[in-house]
Amino acid sequence: MASAYYEFYRGSSIGMALTDSLDELITSGAITPQLAMKVLQQFDKSLADTMVKQVKSKAILKGHLHTYRLCDDVWTFIVKTPVFKMESSENVGAQKIKIIACKSGDAIDGGKK
Amino acid sequence: MLPSRPITYGRSNVSVQQQQQYQQQQQAQRAQYQAQQQQPSHGLALPGSSYQSQPSGLALPASSGPGPSPLRQSHPPSPPHSSATPESAVAGPSSAAATPAPLTLEQKHITAVEGIVPTLQNIVATVNLDCRLDLKTIALHARNAEYNPKRFAAVIMRIRDPKTTALIFASGKMVVTGAKSEDDSRLASRKYARIVQKLGFDAKFSEFKIQNIVGSCDVKFPIRLEGLAYSHGQFSSYEPELFPGLIYRMIKPKVVLLIFVSGKIVLTGAKVREEIYSAFNTIYTVLCEFRKP
Repeated sequence: MASAYYEFYRGSSIGMALTDSLDELITSGAITPQLAMKVLQQFDKSLADTMVKQVKSKAILKGHLHTYRLCDDVWTFIVKTPVFKMESSENVGAQKIKIIACKSGDAIDGGKK
Repeated sequence: MLPSRPITYGRSNVSVQQQQQYQQQQQAQRAQYQAQQQQPSHGLALPGSSYQSQPSGLALPASSGPGPSPLRQSHPPSPPHSSATPESAVAGPSSAAATPAPLTLEQKHITAVEGIVPTLQNIVATVNLDCRLDLKTIALHARNAEYNPKRFAAVIMRIRDPKTTALIFASGKMVVTGAKSEDDSRLASRKYARIVQKLGFDAKFSEFKIQNIVGSCDVKFPIRLEGLAYSHGQFSSYEPELFPGLIYRMIKPKVVLLIFVSGKIVLTGAKVREEIYSAFNTIYTVLCEFRKP
């Protein structure tokens, strides 16, 4: 059931690093592309599960919701002048961010900047 | 130029504290209004006729900016300035006499209830875009759209000005809610039609109709609901165990009123704002009888 997981975590820095390493291994002939695909699928699954079950940190986000959209169970939010208040009571701002929130297996949202 | 009506009485997001000031404004505006009414045959027929001549297609400018004058002027469904007799006035929308009366219906009603004017809270209108729509395309490309076909078979779209919500169906029919005045409702509907048009559909702007108007106000004295329910049993339904307000189904005009002990009133079911005003005027005299000592 690997197809039940979103692939968007592959675009994160950890996913990019994994993809690069797998590419290298394929070019050097150490693994087959099929195996690399398997690894990536497992990565999708593991990261989704980890985000749900193990990541407990929280941040408070405030800003002006410029645009929202819901289509195919995917929420998209464009937030202008957001301020994240992290657990360490450190504030992080930006001009504009896009939040993409998807359902994961148990209908729990995953987010991505 | 006559001021368009809602500027006078409509967009009053007035809190109770501001009521006093608001009433003064109203009186000033009324005076101004009367002055204008006395000028002979002021272009009253103009907005109506300009609407008639307007094709049903969207006459919006490409920018779809707010409030170009043609949009503002065409305000056909309720010709309130031009009602001849009180009888026809109470009957409401059908009365579209051409000659302007010295006092408009609104003014009469407002003067009758000592300056308490129901505030319009919500207007629901329907439009037929006259074109099949692919809702997924709309949801994907428009901003502030929600489409969850498992829950509801329409795209829910919002705009900020006028602050409204639209339900857009695949058949091309659309429901626009949340506007506070007829003009806002119409403008918002046109904006939604324009958005759909810009996404590549051959949307028209036809069959715009206001389906419901909701108003509210405060008579500022407590009311004996039991007494009212007893003597107006034919119209009233008062079940405090189910709902704390008395539901009063007025026949003429056909408006439903929710009357609360506190003196707050909600009026709904009207198709034109005059029905709200005349319903309030009618009920006000009744309520005075059942004022709590």
